Amino acid sequence: MSTPTHLTRAISVIAHVDHGKTTLSDRLLEYTGTVAPRDMVEQVLDQLDLERERGITIKAQAVRMLYKADDGNTYQINLIDTPGHVDFSYEVSRALAACDGAILVVDASQGIEAQTLANVHQALDHNLKIIPVVNKIDLPQANPELVREEIEKVIGLPAESVIFASARKGIGTKEILEAVVREVPAPTGDSNAPLQALIFDAKFDAYRGVVTYIRVLEGTLRPGMRIQMMQTGKSFEVDEVGIFRPERTPVDDLSAGEVGYLIANIRNVRDSRVGDTVTDEARRAAAPLPGYRHVTPMVFAGLFPTDTEQYQQLKEALEKLQLNDAALVYEPETSAALGFGFRCGFLGLLHMEIVQERLEREFNLTLLGTAPTVEYRVKLRDGTEIPVDNPDKLPDPGEIEAISEPMVIATIVVPSTYVGNMMELSQERRGQFLNMEYEPGDRVVITYRMPLAEIIHDYYDQLKSRSKGYASLDYELVGFEEANLVKLDVLVAGSPVDALSMIVDRSKAQQQGRRLAEKLKTLIPRQLFEVPIQAAIGGKIVARETVPAMRKDVTAKCYGGDVTRKRKLLEKQKEGKKRLKRVGNVEIPQEAFMAVLSLD
Amino acid sequence: MERIHSLYLHVPFCTWVCKYCDFNAYAVLDGLIPPYVDALARELDAAADTLPIGPIDTVFIGGGTPSLLTIDQLHLLTDHVRCIGLAPNAEVTLEANPSNVTNEKVDGWLGAGVNRLSIGVQSLRPDALRFLERLHSGADAITAIRRARAGGFANVNADLLYGVPGVELAGWMETLDAVLAEGVQHLSAYELTVESQTRLGQEVRTGLVQMPDADDQLEQYWAAVARLEAAGYAHYEISNWSRPGLACRHNLAAWHYQPYVGCGAGAHSMFRSNDGSTERRWNVKGPHAYIKQASGSGHAVAGSETLSPERAAGEAAMIGVRLLDGTAAARDFPLQRTQLVQAGLLAERDGDVRLTRRGIELANQVGAVFLA
Repeated sequence: MSTPTHLTRAISVIAHVDHGKTTLSDRLLEYTGTVAPRDMVEQVLDQLDLERERGITIKAQAVRMLYKADDGNTYQINLIDTPGHVDFSYEVSRALAACDGAILVVDASQGIEAQTLANVHQALDHNLKIIPVVNKIDLPQANPELVREEIEKVIGLPAESVIFASARKGIGTKEILEAVVREVPAPTGDSNAPLQALIFDAKFDAYRGVVTYIRVLEGTLRPGMRIQMMQTGKSFEVDEVGIFRPERTPVDDLSAGEVGYLIANIRNVRDSRVGDTVTDEARRAAAPLPGYRHVTPMVFAGLFPTDTEQYQQLKEALEKLQLNDAALVYEPETSAALGFGFRCGFLGLLHMEIVQERLEREFNLTLLGTAPTVEYRVKLRDGTEIPVDNPDKLPDPGEIEAISEPMVIATIVVPSTYVGNMMELSQERRGQFLNMEYEPGDRVVITYRMPLAEIIHDYYDQLKSRSKGYASLDYELVGFEEANLVKLDVLVAGSPVDALSMIVDRSKAQQQGRRLAEKLKTLIPRQLFEVPIQAAIGGKIVARETVPAMRKDVTAKCYGGDVTRKRKLLEKQKEGKKRLKRVGNVEIPQEAFMAVLSLD
Repeated sequence: MERIHSLYLHVPFCTWVCKYCDFNAYAVLDGLIPPYVDALARELDAAADTLPIGPIDTVFIGGGTPSLLTIDQLHLLTDHVRCIGLAPNAEVTLEANPSNVTNEKVDGWLGAGVNRLSIGVQSLRPDALRFLERLHSGADAITAIRRARAGGFANVNADLLYGVPGVELAGWMETLDAVLAEGVQHLSAYELTVESQTRLGQEVRTGLVQMPDADDQLEQYWAAVARLEAAGYAHYEISNWSRPGLACRHNLAAWHYQPYVGCGAGAHSMFRSNDGSTERRWNVKGPHAYIKQASGSGHAVAGSETLSPERAAGEAAMIGVRLLDGTAAARDFPLQRTQLVQAGLLAERDGDVRLTRRGIELANQVGAVFLA
């Protein structure tokens, strides 16, 4: 069924985490009859189990809805659901680039938060028409009037354009759809121009290869065409094009303004990069679409199988996962303490957590992850500069001229009561104060320039706990800066454990060492013998703690009828131990390797 | 299937269920005893018909409180056992609560073929007995031992508990000495263990009761070890001592991983196939359900599991190491053995291993090493 261009719309829903973006999308699907009520499950668009369980969106999704508006016309509305987390902000920016309008969802009790602002700025950068929606107005603590005022004062959208809604109760759904067809401009592309289609996501399908999510901006895409990816230069022949209703449905063509997918025997998502431009190899577009960025990981960590036998399985699992996750990078790593594993790069902490969880769950592996670290740039005395994404690989201090670390601009939005706490925390974390603005609704927007390393070390949790959960955070990378850093080493039972090394600010190193040793003492379970834990800087011990030996573990009474129960108990204990990594003859739990993350 | 020479009979009735007890035991169900005994007899007959069982070398009538049975009821059971085939020198143990040990009962038990009496003394101290919710006094327990011995039992065991809150080392040794002075042939000393499903478990969780710490418990244990050794008892299992040659043969068979049949509510059985795999079966736990099922078909099995020869070997080693004279059960685990010897938990002699002093304190850690 083809819709004239002037009746086509492409929109996205943007919101801070938990403001109800996905629930609103569900309601739109239901209201337009795209999904029959009997097929309706919560979070229709979140396909990974993990997404449904955690209530988050990891991959972007698209769906085509048909809506008969009050003006009598039937509109084709293409909805793109975007990931809601700062780790995936580049994916969000590409999804927005594929739209002409955006529904901005703001929680009626939470008000505007850091990611609301970040999303709005991005939407405005892409010249999107924004339709503001205050959601969850049915909750007792909702204050929709105040949030509406906030939207006008902070974002500059007229208060009268704000729609009150409750996605859970289905209030406001029709008003939103009407606003979309009325306010969002129709696409302007020319179906006869050379093909320009923007890739906003890609997914690996075991049977069909890569399914590339696109919006056609100019020209027409048909099966049988030879296409070229303008950034990577790779060419493919299109097998199938189609739309999402919400399951994949093949169509004859996708023309300017339409959103859909293409399948072209692409074997790896790397060849279908988010932000790349698809063009007709025979009739190339003059230039690729702007805004492409090569996605680079920000956070690095080692992943090791707790059972060394699982190394090969881990390797294969990473290969498979990477087919569907272009942002995941990895290379083999050998740790004296943990054996053979992989150094992996992630977009952020959530991405890291998700990858580890998927590896364990979908591939049945038991993994040990080391504490995440950023990538440092180390200038050596001989003039060369090397990247270091593993604290243990930091060269000898004698060879180092200078170390630079990645910096971010962090934006915190918080009620004014907690401004003092936020500033204190940010200063502890080597933040340089940049700006502070008071906004209506008792909201303060604070910006800091600070090292990314500090952000990934428990900053967000602290931010939340020191603001009773009210603060929200967004950050963007702004470059590298020299800093006075040293390596902190940890020795367990006299042997250095490379995977516990960390790079820290010199002025805080000794204190961090002490805290780390204390923390490890509580995390390393009692062993059959006493285990000393030491922290050292440059070979000098700065802290020592001791885990006393296990005193007693014996069942007093063991009779025949009790053997099954006793064996099961011991087997369960032993199963628990599989989560421990044997380093030398000490068994260290996963949490210990994460201890460096929360030393406050 | 390997031939079975050991038989366990469970009697799940008690006058009062003590707060630390997590055995399959019930109070206030005395009315069920007669049909229960009939059902048990029925299950014994069925076992004899379906399993390669006998001649029986050891019988253990445990509970619960089997001393609550009338002499007639006990006779009924031992008659059925004799039908299966009882070896001439079989060991037949009955567990008894001190309150039930009268001269008449002692005569009756001996007459029914019981030749080993295991008396639940637990402690002689009034405060400890109150804490443990025992309904007898220390004097009752001493009297019970004397009646058993005087009435003709040549093999008497006393069960004791140490590590009872409020009982210091000296108090524990007083109880131990007084019981030894009665000339028992066998002694079991168990650390009071907190099981989560019991009322004691609840009291410990809520902070109402504080258990002694590991150092205090071990102090009482090792003091008992020394005292019993000095008194000439052989320490043959972690918590068991006996006069030479009078170790409990029924328990020894289980620790040596020999098969046995268990009859009664919640009783476990263990069978061994010729390929080395092990099967365990367990009966329904509740007396009502047991009576219903066993009196009908003679079977009351609620579940079972089969262990591969490898896992069975691990289990055999796990149990075997508890025998302090050493065990050959760990011979298939050379790597684990070396590791444990190096850790100072096992000592090796002629291919057999036995727990060291530290190994006894960490026996579960040792046992777990043999499990896959």
